[in-house]
Amino acid sequence: MENELKQLIIDTLDLEDISVDDIDSQAPLFNDGLGLDSIDALELGLAIRKKYDVKIDADKEDVVKIFSSVSTLAEYIQAARG
Amino acid sequence: MNIDFVLRNWNAWAPGISRHEDWRNWHEHQTFAQAEKAAIPITVPKILQRRLSPLARAVFNAADGCIDSDKSLPIVFSSAHGEVNKSLEMLKSMQKGEEVSPTAFSLSVHNAISGLFSIAYDYHQEITVIAPGQDGIAPAFVEALGLLQEHHSEVLIVLYDEPLSDFYPSLPFALNAPAICALALKVSLTGSGLPLRFCRTPAHRDDGEQALQILSFIKFLVADDKALVLGNHRHSWEWYKK
Repeated sequence: MENELKQLIIDTLDLEDISVDDIDSQAPLFNDGLGLDSIDALELGLAIRKKYDVKIDADKEDVVKIFSSVSTLAEYIQAARG
Repeated sequence: MNIDFVLRNWNAWAPGISRHEDWRNWHEHQTFAQAEKAAIPITVPKILQRRLSPLARAVFNAADGCIDSDKSLPIVFSSAHGEVNKSLEMLKSMQKGEEVSPTAFSLSVHNAISGLFSIAYDYHQEITVIAPGQDGIAPAFVEALGLLQEHHSEVLIVLYDEPLSDFYPSLPFALNAPAICALALKVSLTGSGLPLRFCRTPAHRDDGEQALQILSFIKFLVADDKALVLGNHRHSWEWYKK
């Protein structure tokens, strides 16, 4: 799941020079870590909805936590799909 | 009313053409290379490079040669159609019932390229983006010369456009350039450079929209012509080498 998600991130966000192995599952996706921004968050949210049929509400309190790393994102998607 | 100013420096990019010498050669042959993309200046952070369209790359390439290291110039961007080809792609995907990409939307608005520029260069000066419609390149000069009158010592003008998708019927208007082109002009009221005079003329003409006028202005810069008049059926403007 985590690797699949990493590939989705790379393809969706045009991260041409990055491979699945370059993304640390525990590292922050936004700002410091991979350096992604708020537009990327929206784009990724859309891609996740399309691929997994899981909607991540932007006004949810724990949205920052969900998006904090590949690992937390994968956990959330798996839990939401049941 | 005449306004005198000095063209301190200029830099332009089109496929296969970037140095002043290239533009002088182009003036004789008037052809462009096919489908070449502008190099991305090294200042642009890697993570932002993926957001640069071919038009944005042309703009960055032209402007990069004219901005100072202290980034103190206000910038006036001007484009007739901006990234309208991106908007067309979004409309097509909506027609197919697909959801619109937030990234594509954010990069399709008229100030998208100037926004990317300010982020990539950490640029905090005043930035204006003009959509001059049928008035061509003159409104950008009016804006820039106004800023100079407000005591900015130098202003950067960046004119850019790309060919429109043939989805849009352009006739009877002359608005389509043969290639992507971006022209950066650093202007001031005093100092060394090419002294120019800018004024309105009563002539009624049809010199096409900005995409064509950018090339006319570059021709004027590299040729021996003393004056350039550009206008439409409503009003015209003259640039004169003093």
